[in-house]
This record gives sequence, structure tokens and C-alpha cells, in this order.
Amino acid sequence: MSMVKRGGPLQGVRVLELTKVWAGPYAGRQLAFLGAEVIKVESLGSLDVTRVYGVKDIDKAPGFMAVNPQKLSVQIDMKTAEGLTLLKDLASTCDILVENLRPGAIDRLGIGYEALRQVRPDIIFVSMGMYGNDGPLAYQTGYAPCFAALGGLSSLVGYEGEAPRGMNIRYADSTFGTAAAFAALAALNHRKRTGEGQFIDVSAVETMTSMIGDSVMAFSLNGRVPACDGNRHAEIAPHGAYPCAGGDWIAIAAQDDTAWTALAACIGIQESRFTTLAGRKAHEAEIDDALAAWTASQDAATLAATLQAQGVAAAKSASSVDLVADTHLWGREFFRPVIDAQGEERSIIGPGYRMSDAAALTDCAPTLGQHNEYVFGDIMGLSAAEQRRLADAGAIR
Amino acid sequence: MSALRSIRVIELAETVSGEYCGRLLADFGAQVVKVERPGTGSPTRRLGPFKETGASGENSGLFAYLNTSKQSVTLDLSTPDGVAALAILLKQADVVIDDHAPGWLAGIGLDPGTLAQTHPGLILCAITPFGQDPPADRRHATDLTVMHASGWAYHTPSAETKRPPLKGAGRFMPSYEAGLEAAMCIAACLHDDRGRFIDLSMQEVMASRADYVLGQMVAGDMDVDNARTRFDLGGPAGIFPCRQGFAYLWMSIAPHWQAVRTLLGDPAWMSAFTDDWLERGLTPERIADCRHHIGDWLKGQDKDEVSARAQALGIIMVPVNDPGDLIRHPQFLHRAFFTELTHPALGTALYPTAPYKLSATPVALTGAAPLLGRDNAQFLA
Repeated sequence: MSMVKRGGPLQGVRVLELTKVWAGPYAGRQLAFLGAEVIKVESLGSLDVTRVYGVKDIDKAPGFMAVNPQKLSVQIDMKTAEGLTLLKDLASTCDILVENLRPGAIDRLGIGYEALRQVRPDIIFVSMGMYGNDGPLAYQTGYAPCFAALGGLSSLVGYEGEAPRGMNIRYADSTFGTAAAFAALAALNHRKRTGEGQFIDVSAVETMTSMIGDSVMAFSLNGRVPACDGNRHAEIAPHGAYPCAGGDWIAIAAQDDTAWTALAACIGIQESRFTTLAGRKAHEAEIDDALAAWTASQDAATLAATLQAQGVAAAKSASSVDLVADTHLWGREFFRPVIDAQGEERSIIGPGYRMSDAAALTDCAPTLGQHNEYVFGDIMGLSAAEQRRLADAGAIR
Repeated sequence: MSALRSIRVIELAETVSGEYCGRLLADFGAQVVKVERPGTGSPTRRLGPFKETGASGENSGLFAYLNTSKQSVTLDLSTPDGVAALAILLKQADVVIDDHAPGWLAGIGLDPGTLAQTHPGLILCAITPFGQDPPADRRHATDLTVMHASGWAYHTPSAETKRPPLKGAGRFMPSYEAGLEAAMCIAACLHDDRGRFIDLSMQEVMASRADYVLGQMVAGDMDVDNARTRFDLGGPAGIFPCRQGFAYLWMSIAPHWQAVRTLLGDPAWMSAFTDDWLERGLTPERIADCRHHIGDWLKGQDKDEVSARAQALGIIMVPVNDPGDLIRHPQFLHRAFFTELTHPALGTALYPTAPYKLSATPVALTGAAPLLGRDNAQFLA
């Protein structure tokens, strides 16, 4: 049996991905970046919205390519009986399956955990759902901002004393995908030791709650519901985003008394009221006003460098231009080139870490069915004639 | 019987990111020995929220959340004796978690550059704001500055163009995200039983969480500029006040509009909009008008009741829950997301568990966070 080898801690692990949009694909991406061989099952009859929506060429769909580098694509039509059989046969060669189809869909197709463990007893079956797999509201569906709203996270993001505004609309899917990837790897360690596979039920909403655990503890311990607090921080003052020249913003956090002393010297503030954190917290609005007046005419990046040189935590608030021009991110190969199916170079987003003996990150997102031959032939051992027959029967499309 | 039960972790971390990583491993049964400074312990012990009744000291809810199921030992790593004692602990360890500034590890005998020779087989994960090689203008960082350097703050909240960017939920979003990423990396490295150094950058973790948009931008498929709304999707989606609390409503396609029409009882104002305006007729004026009318209507509704009715019609609307809602929420109760633990200073309280349910090796919080140095006798004999 053949397997794509790229090194990394998960080399030799095969993952089957039955996922759509972002959260499920992100889980697969995390595993692929760690060295797993991740096979994405697709079909012309039910293409991922990110392959088709507002897209000229489904093999060059920008959104799809952004979240699916380093994966393989195989076409199997799960709406046909032969397609389902084919899928089960393929699943029997896989260590991990990740799915984020609509609640219950995978069972209705007859390829749920109970069905697949018949063909692969030690499979690790990861099911991702907004509310998880069971419970009175598990039938409900939604997108990323719904996860954040339901999980309590949105309620904390907003200007002080005002209604919640929530995180940027893009937040939540990728965090959810990472939680799923971590759980799958914990299970993989268990399997290594015992040979036992298992079913994993991951909840997007609960993932969001995990990200605000300390705020939940505030309620749990004191019965107090934390409210939107703008940019406030109970233990750091000043702490916020301040306007700069050209519509830019700078983030400044006087992380301790020493940093405050340095910051105050830069601004020219001499105030004994502000020397302790308690004093600064008591006059926070006044300090914020003075800071904003001082930063307003300055260049954000220059000011951040000046404050850093004085030992103050500061950063220009990065726009999309700043991000793609960030030389530190290029230097660390966070942004890095890979090669697409036509041999063209394309830049992708790497993982959040560097690691010794890491997996080689070399491949762009696959074109539709790019790896049909490898998967059906090399992995499953189907003859060319049998592959043709399945294609004619509509199982491979 | 949990998934990581035989794994031994030494946690040198003193901030939220590394401590959260340790907790995630302890959730699965790893033995996590937390090394703390004698006298004061981890700085997170002195960060809120604090329990407001009872004695002070050992009463941080933050520390309690981050350190369930761990052991605590005290070592002064600024002394040769402390470092020597650590070296003994390390002999038995599979994993070390750290989140100090770059360079600190070399000072205690764990130089990442020579790790493969000095500690073959050890997985060493170092979490830092910008990685092991920060440029001069990024040496001082907090979660706030990381949030801004990653692009999330600039683009939060959606649709905001004038008021200051926001830091996100609570104080520690980048730390939680980095802790989760670190735990994932460590679990992967444990699988192939090979020692590794993991250099984790919080900025990169956060930026990679935006890969759907940032990946298109860096590939040249999506415009980049200084717009605060550059990550947005546009449209009237957002949070609306209800009779009590708030609801989030998503609308992006014609069927959503039809369903909302049904929910609202086909009010006259909706006839000023074409059926497909969400797809083909978005203008700032229409969005504002739509939000105004829907907002008026939702003010008289109950967030849970109206969300349930909307969901039945195929509308993507959900209540905006706050932490108080969650603890009595039927879905969370059904899934037993919160579990009761008893701590010597904090008493009995509900704690969040984990967002994944594993059929063979479920997460189990085996004990409340340890008091400082509770396990010295066992580990420093």
C-alpha cells in the first residue's frame, strides 16, 4: 500500500475528510501540516461551496485553495450505492475520519461510526457539529458567528457599557477545527497504546466557551455576568487601541509599573496619581484621553518601535496590507510558496509553529479529483478497467 | 483510562498560553507537574477573576480554570540547586511546556539548539508572542499587542470603521488559541515518539486562524488595503437587542429573506426590498434600513423563543448567550459540559470541561487546581 511521505510527526497516518466550508477543512489542514496524508472526498454533484461560489474555475477557487493546501482530492459520489461502497472501502484504509456534514447526514448515508467500524474497527471517527452530536438543540445549524454567539464569546466583545458587537465575522471555524484536530490526536495516542479506536463528537459552541473559560469562572464563582469592556484589562492600565496618523491605530499596554514609567516619560506625564496600577485604573479614562491626544498625529509603526525601545508593549494594529507585508512572517516562512497542479508557485499560509523534523509543506490545494488514480489505484488496488467501470456507473464523478 | 494517561509533562509555563496547553493535556490524563516559584507561585495565581467571598490568596478563578488535574511543585530556577532539581524531574519527562521569553530556556539547561543531544526524545514546546526570533520592535508583547499584530483586532468588530479596534473576548484570546495549538502539536509529536523542539508563535497562530481570507490575500486572489472591513462579508447580519439580552441574525441569500418575511408577518416595509437584494442589491442605505426595522421588531421578542421560531423557518438566528446563560443552558446541561470540583480555597464550583466527547477516553477533570507546592513531597524527594 502506498502513502504520500512528507515527514513530520504524523507521517504514515491517513485521514479521510468528508468536510465542507472551513471548520472541517481546517481540521484536515492541521493534520496535513503535521505530516498526515489527508484525502478529501469530493463530487461534482455536491461540491463544497468554497469551490463554486462566485468562482470562474473550480480548480482555482481562491477560498478553497486558501484552506486546503497539502491535501489530496478524490472524487466519489456518495449519492450512488457503488459510491458508498467505494467510500467504505477507502475508509477501511484510513486511521482518522473527519466529517462536518449536516447533523445526522452521515448516519443517513449509512457511513456513520457504527457502519465504518465494521470495516475498520480501530477507526477514529471525528464528527463536528455546531452544537455537537446530541442534545435537545443538536438539530440546529449555523455559521461561525453563531458559534461565537451561542458559546458566550460574542457577549464579551463590545464597547464598554454597550451592546455586544462580537468578534470579526470570520472568527470561530478555524478554532473549532483545531479543537477537533487535537482531540483526534489524543485518540490516536490511545489507539497506539491499546489498538482501540473511538468516536469523537466535537461541539463548535463549546469550543467557543473554552476560549472564555476565565470569564465563565467569574460567573461560576461569584454569580456575576461579565459585560463588554471595550479594551479594558483588570490588571493592565493603560491598555487599548489609540488613533494614529492616516487612520492607523496603535495598541499600547503598559504591562507593569516600569513600562508605565517609561511610557509616561515619552508622553511627558508626571503624575504621582498614576504610579501604581490601582492609581492608573482609577483614572483610566483620563489616561486614555491623554494617550489618544498624544498618539493622534504620530505614525503608528514608528511610534510602536519607539515605545518598544523603551520597554513598552506596543504594536501597530495590522491591516490586511500590513499582514501580507510583514517581513517577520515571511522571514519565518509563515507565508511560503508551494507548487500547484500546473507547476506554478503560489503562496500559502503556514502553520502557527516551526518544529524540528517538521513535515515538508510543498503542495497547493488539489484540483478536483487530482488524486483519483493514486487513491483508487495505489491505495485501493483497483484496476484501470474497474476504475473506468465505476466512472461509467457514476460512482466516480 | 484516558488517552494520554502514561505521558509525563513538566510545565514551566507561567502565563495563560502554556498553562492552558498543560491543562488540555491533563484533561486526557497526562501527569502534568507544574513547576512554580517558591513563595509566590505562578503569576496567574494573582490574576482575576477572584472569588469575592472567603479568604484572599489561592482564590484566582483564572488559575483554577487553567490548572485542573495538575500537580504543583516549587523550585527556584534562578539558583543552581533549583536547576539541578529540575534536571532530575526532566529525566522522567516526555514533554516540557514553556512560555517564557526567547533565551530563558537555555539558562536552565534546555537550550533548544542542542536539545536533540542533551535531551534526546524530549518534546519541548516553547510558546512566545512572536516566535524565538522576534525583531527588535516586537520584544515586548501582551495578548493585546499580539491580537493587533495578527490582524484580528484591526478587523474587529465587523462593520466598524471609526471607533477603536477591539481586543476580542476577555483578556487572553491569543493565549487560549496558542495553548490549544501547542497541545495539538504535542499530541502529534507524542504519536511518533520522537523528541522535537516546537517554536510556537502566538502571532502566527492567530494569523493562521484567518487563513480563509489571509490565504487568498497572500496568494493575490483577494484585495488588500487599509479598510477595517476587509475581512467582512457585508450585509445586514449582526447582533440585535431583544426584550432581554441579544440575538444574532445571519442573512445572506434570498431564501433567508423570504423566511424572515414569514417570521415577521410580512410587514409593509419589506416590500421596498427586492426578493434577491441580499445577493444582488446590497447598499449601505438598504442594510441600515433593514437593520433598523428588524431591530425594532426584535426589541419586543424573547431571544431564546424568537431564535427557536426562526430556526424552525430555516433562519439562521441564535441567542447571544452570556456566561450565566451557559451554566443553565439545556444543551450544555445535556452534554454535561460543566463539572463540579471542590477546591480548598474556592469551595465547590462549576468548571468548563472540554468541547469534545470521546467515546473510549472521555475528558475527566480529576482534581481542582493544586495549592502552591502541594506535591513537593511526592516529586522533590
